[in-house]
Amino acid sequence: MPRNITSVWVLLASITLGSRPANVAAAPICANGQARCRVVSLANLFDRVIQHSARMHGISNDLHSEFEQYFVPSRNHIGRVSRNCHTSALLTPNGKENAQRIAREELTEVILKLLLAWRDPLWHFHQITAHQHDLANFSSDKALEMSDMVHELRKGVEKVAQKMQTLGMISNSVSALSSPEDLLPSESGEWRLMKDHELLYCFRRDSDKIQNYLKILKCRIVPEHGC
Amino acid sequence: MRNVLELTWLLLLVVTSHAKGLSPPGKPTLTSCRSPEKETFTCWWQPGSDGGLPTTYALYYGKESSDFVYECPDYFTGGENSCFFNKNNTSIWVNYNITVVATNRLGSNFSDPVDVDVVYIVQPNPPENVSLSIMEDKGWPFLRVTWAPPRKADTRSGWITLIYELRIRSEGENEWETHVAGQQKLFNIFSLRSGGLNLVQVRCKPDHGFWSEWSSTSQIRFPDYFHREKSAWIVITAVCALIFLIITWLLHMNSRSLKHCLLPPVPGPKIKGFDQQLLKKGKSEDIFSALAMSEFPPMSSSSNRDDLLVEYLEVHIPEELEAMLEASKDLDSADGGFKSESSTSDSDSGRGSCDSRTLLMEKCGRPKEHEDSTGEAEPEDWEVARVDAGGRTWPSVFTGPSHLLRPSEGQVCKQIKARSDVNISAPGHKQSPARWSVEYVGVQTVVEDDVVLLQPWSGRDGCPPPPTFHERDYSQVKRVGSDDTLLLLQKLPAGTADGREGRSCDTSQKSATCMHSTAPMSGYIDTAAVFPMATY
Repeated sequence: MPRNITSVWVLLASITLGSRPANVAAAPICANGQARCRVVSLANLFDRVIQHSARMHGISNDLHSEFEQYFVPSRNHIGRVSRNCHTSALLTPNGKENAQRIAREELTEVILKLLLAWRDPLWHFHQITAHQHDLANFSSDKALEMSDMVHELRKGVEKVAQKMQTLGMISNSVSALSSPEDLLPSESGEWRLMKDHELLYCFRRDSDKIQNYLKILKCRIVPEHGC
Repeated sequence: MRNVLELTWLLLLVVTSHAKGLSPPGKPTLTSCRSPEKETFTCWWQPGSDGGLPTTYALYYGKESSDFVYECPDYFTGGENSCFFNKNNTSIWVNYNITVVATNRLGSNFSDPVDVDVVYIVQPNPPENVSLSIMEDKGWPFLRVTWAPPRKADTRSGWITLIYELRIRSEGENEWETHVAGQQKLFNIFSLRSGGLNLVQVRCKPDHGFWSEWSSTSQIRFPDYFHREKSAWIVITAVCALIFLIITWLLHMNSRSLKHCLLPPVPGPKIKGFDQQLLKKGKSEDIFSALAMSEFPPMSSSSNRDDLLVEYLEVHIPEELEAMLEASKDLDSADGGFKSESSTSDSDSGRGSCDSRTLLMEKCGRPKEHEDSTGEAEPEDWEVARVDAGGRTWPSVFTGPSHLLRPSEGQVCKQIKARSDVNISAPGHKQSPARWSVEYVGVQTVVEDDVVLLQPWSGRDGCPPPPTFHERDYSQVKRVGSDDTLLLLQKLPAGTADGREGRSCDTSQKSATCMHSTAPMSGYIDTAAVFPMATY
């Protein structure tokens, strides 16, 4: 009897886990040259990624607003955020012209670098919030979700980049795909010095950057789909 | 020395400024900063008090990443008390620290610093080119609203993503109906209101930013063919109401006949004089008394007590003979019950009022005696004859022997006031009797063929005298003799005979007269009293 029950539980777990990717189609998406796979268009990929980044930005916005209640800005500070974000060293376009002027490959790299830069801090943040009992429960849930989404988004953007490279839209000079670990800034521990609210403030901004860059990239590569 | 001079100068300045009310400027405040397209932005401030001196304002900002302080590049484009940052000076995702300084001769004042990130202060312009059109979908009209993003916002490159919202209302309403359109630039409205003018407005908002102002109102008039559906319903409702009314009317009309069939009405009593109300009350005595009170026996419509009475007229002989003749005619007409006797009217026999049973019974009871009633009887007769009916008197009339000879008339026992129609042609009539009197006259004997002995008899025995003589038809009274004699004319069956005078024999009774008949005339004889009537 217990064997049957465990087998049933495994079956249920597999079913639920299998349905997590939220892919509607029955056939799997062609990823590695499989047979009988469904080809997803680039525009569709972009839409998915953009949707994902929008949701990520929403969660970060909520968390930041929530932390604003607990953090009382000190009048002594000239400006609330005196410290730079750890990703400020990354050269990111700060305007529309800049974003349109740089190459697609650079833009893709920037996106990937940003996503990579936030992988560890968010995980760390989740660990902190999970252990802090004075915070609301849903904060730790959101932190976890945020961390997961960053990870998934990075995977998705990598897929998009690969697709673009396959389609010849971008060259193969995206270095982020080859050696992602080299993209990490040297002062990788700088983010540990940030306080929670500063971390959230910086992440909120960066998630907006990611979303915006993805939209620009999409309208540069596949402009006929909703641009 | 110089320091003393400077200090003195400053003191003077302060003293003079205080004396005049001058002061350093008040603290300005930054009211808002806005970016219409996430490429440029403008900040506005509110100046404080100027302290009575000309004050200048300056805006200084510092970026997040550097410690450099820059001054506002453009104070004019945004209007008064504003600072405009063009594209070159605008960095997105960079924290600006902005401060405004007010400066006058006496000093300066700093405003509170404000942190601005352009991404979060985006407020676009309203959408443009809002167009409305009415389209049809399988016969059902709907409204299609289309618009364009604001000119400055660059949505084509994906730099800005705008979501739209529109609202619609009818001309007469106050409340708007809001619809969220998302990122699309087209919207269909199916919940169209009734015909009339409709107003539509659209606005937009970036991902995180502020809603724009509502666009200018676009108007469109809905066609009236929506009423076609309403009018169809109205027609259907009217037809149903008409059918319902017809059915109701038919039921109402048939209800009476149905009621008649099922519940026939009870016929009411038709007894004349029957009071239904009394019957309902249940008092039988009242009912019957009511019946009794009514006329019984039913008379003619012109039933009148007066009709039963005989009119009486005063008669004067002979001058009033004509009046009598006239009156006799009235009696004939009035005396309906006795028309049979007096139908051949212009004789002088007719039933008087005493013939009527119901009336004057008490007055007509007395017989009259001739011998002693000459003077008294006459007034009595006259009294009797007199019927007080409406004050009209009527000539006493006298019964003729023809009446007396008829036993069928039971009233001969009484004194009868018969109408006399005396046609007396008496050239030699010298009598001037005042009146007639009433009495019975009977034929006593027949002396000759043409001579009749009359005698009155008293009605005491109440019986007519047995006829001891042959009945003879007598004609008119020829003349009245001076000695109270009556000249009767016998009626001859054939032809006319010469009236022969017959002497009337005096009898013991004064009233008896013997007369001789003369040539008869047609008609009958009414005997008249021969006694002079007492005047009274």
